[in-house]
Amino acid sequence: MKPNFVQKVTNWGNFPVVEKEMKSDDSFDKIKDFILTHNEVIARGNGRCYGDASLGESIFSTKKLNKFISFDRLNGIIECESGVLLSEVLEISVPQGYFLYVTPGTKFVSVGGAIASDVHGKNHHAEGCFSEYVIEFKLMIENGEIITCSREENSEKFWATIGGMGLTGIILSAKFKLKNIESAYIRQESIKADNLDEIFKLFEESENWTYNVAWIDCLQTGKNIGKSILMRGEHAFPHELPQNLKEKPLRLKKKFEPTVPFYFPGFVLNKFTVKVFNLLYFKKQTKKEIKNIVDYETFFYPLDVVNDWNKIYGKSGFIQYQMVIPKEKGKEGMKKILETISRSGNGSFLAVLKLFGKNNPEAYNSFPMEGYTLALDFRVNSKLKMLIGKLDDIVQEFGGRIYLTKDSMSKSSLTNYLRNIQNSKFVSLQHKRIINNNQGS
Amino acid sequence: MIVLGSTSEVAQAFVEKALQEGEKFEKIYLFTSNKETTERFARHIDVKFLQQSEIIELDLTKEIDYNVFENINSTLLFCAIGYLGEGTKEGLYDNKNTQRIIEINYSKLIPVINYFAHKFENRRSGTIIGLSSVAGDRGRQSNFIYGSAKAAFTAYLSGLRNYLFDKKVHVITIKPGFMATKMTEGLPLNPKLTASPKQAADCIYKAFKKQKNIAYVLPVWSVIMMIIRNIPEFIFKKLKL
Repeated sequence: MKPNFVQKVTNWGNFPVVEKEMKSDDSFDKIKDFILTHNEVIARGNGRCYGDASLGESIFSTKKLNKFISFDRLNGIIECESGVLLSEVLEISVPQGYFLYVTPGTKFVSVGGAIASDVHGKNHHAEGCFSEYVIEFKLMIENGEIITCSREENSEKFWATIGGMGLTGIILSAKFKLKNIESAYIRQESIKADNLDEIFKLFEESENWTYNVAWIDCLQTGKNIGKSILMRGEHAFPHELPQNLKEKPLRLKKKFEPTVPFYFPGFVLNKFTVKVFNLLYFKKQTKKEIKNIVDYETFFYPLDVVNDWNKIYGKSGFIQYQMVIPKEKGKEGMKKILETISRSGNGSFLAVLKLFGKNNPEAYNSFPMEGYTLALDFRVNSKLKMLIGKLDDIVQEFGGRIYLTKDSMSKSSLTNYLRNIQNSKFVSLQHKRIINNNQGS
Repeated sequence: MIVLGSTSEVAQAFVEKALQEGEKFEKIYLFTSNKETTERFARHIDVKFLQQSEIIELDLTKEIDYNVFENINSTLLFCAIGYLGEGTKEGLYDNKNTQRIIEINYSKLIPVINYFAHKFENRRSGTIIGLSSVAGDRGRQSNFIYGSAKAAFTAYLSGLRNYLFDKKVHVITIKPGFMATKMTEGLPLNPKLTASPKQAADCIYKAFKKQKNIAYVLPVWSVIMMIIRNIPEFIFKKLKL
């Protein structure tokens, strides 16, 4: 059997699927060889980005760069190779009283991916993006040289790589800060909002909370547009915990993790089932306001509990559409977007609304800008492109942009905010699509 | 714990599994021919589990100085050393390839295991886990040089288990089947028959706790190999396996 590294590769949305060369190794010499012997290379972490950002002609998987390098338990500074997952960081940091400053909605992203996407979390308004806490990283550039990038050293490369979608090189390892926590639990308040006005008011009232996020029922129409539940949270102190958790505040109980066994047939997710899901989701909370204590996994990673949940969208896959609209026009823009989705009947199973705070101007390739951001899942079908086109037009009209990490369909004018990444060696399908396709469609 | 072949992803996954399950080792002795990669693993288990380890260079293609091993003591030995080499079609008449496969998988390896088996025997305790291969169950045209070395290794482990039984030392033979590791990267393996290093480590740890004698990593392999072993020779020789 002669090796053949060409294989089917796809990211979390199962769309698009490509047949390309993919290789993985933990030896820096072999990675250098790979870079030097291939024309177009792109790094791929755990494949948890949704679209085509980590797909390319020759893919280097960082899965085998999975070792920890150091952990300063006194100051909460951790260093690890780029293929280490955030879940693995949490596994060792939480029992020591440390949490990630910034985490996306899944803990199964790699550290390298978190930097290349400059991920944001429910606390962007308060604590910014992942990059704020990155001290330095090692990057292998086009000639195979390994350089250390920080705010002081190779700072130009540092900032270009942050949110740079892997187009500056292969991140090998990173050192970053963690935040102190006293328990593995979150003090949470869930508040129901009947419409957009209410949810926007709630967001503004909750600015002092570290974590804010809202689930929106995006099939509602008329005066019910924006029906949602806001969840806000703070890391709980041990004295706030119920008696049975006080003893070991930094330990979580092991939970059952179901797995979606196969791709659901396409018809399972439709307007009706999404409506029923949303109805149940919103009816579950009968009171206007609930205050409770939940573990960090429930609060930050509700979907991680179901392994392979992406399979419920069927084999045709799904996309996640995440956009941001500047704050002053946020409400107007969101209203238009939600109306368009509701009219299309192409319901989103999962719709998440958040308020971003000010962006860090140094991290010029990062997606977030001050404003409202909405993330929506859509199953890929024949009508989807038309809907995305309409949504793109609205985002453009309001001066917004699209999140590259999740994009695979949007107009290039909304996604081409990347700067300083012109490099003929590191090229992704997404990058090509953005450059070559000015019309979107 | 003594690990022979420390850059093996299965060996590393097994070490992590054991530490996660709360096994205590005073020190882990990492035998390797690749110091750089092993150093990274040593740091990794130190960061993750505060586990002390020591790296010992071992190159089976060179002369071995046993004096270096004198102070090494443990009750668990995990051997993941293996070398696939070229398949028979490409490498049968390449003597260098043949010799390397035999040396690394068997002839140079056995004395090293024997050295530690002797220590275990004297102490009258311990477990030796050896990663053999389903390729050793029956010689097939695609890789019978490797297969024959693994068959010899399987026979060795079986004999050693028998010999050490009343000396209170247990020997486990692991037959992994396909595994998604560096050794097999890029080969078109059926995903249903292929175990990840982590899956393999979980299974090996189970076999260790239950003190099994022989364990296939994925149960389906015991069925496949039972069939392959029982095909009559006059038919088998005509098959393209």
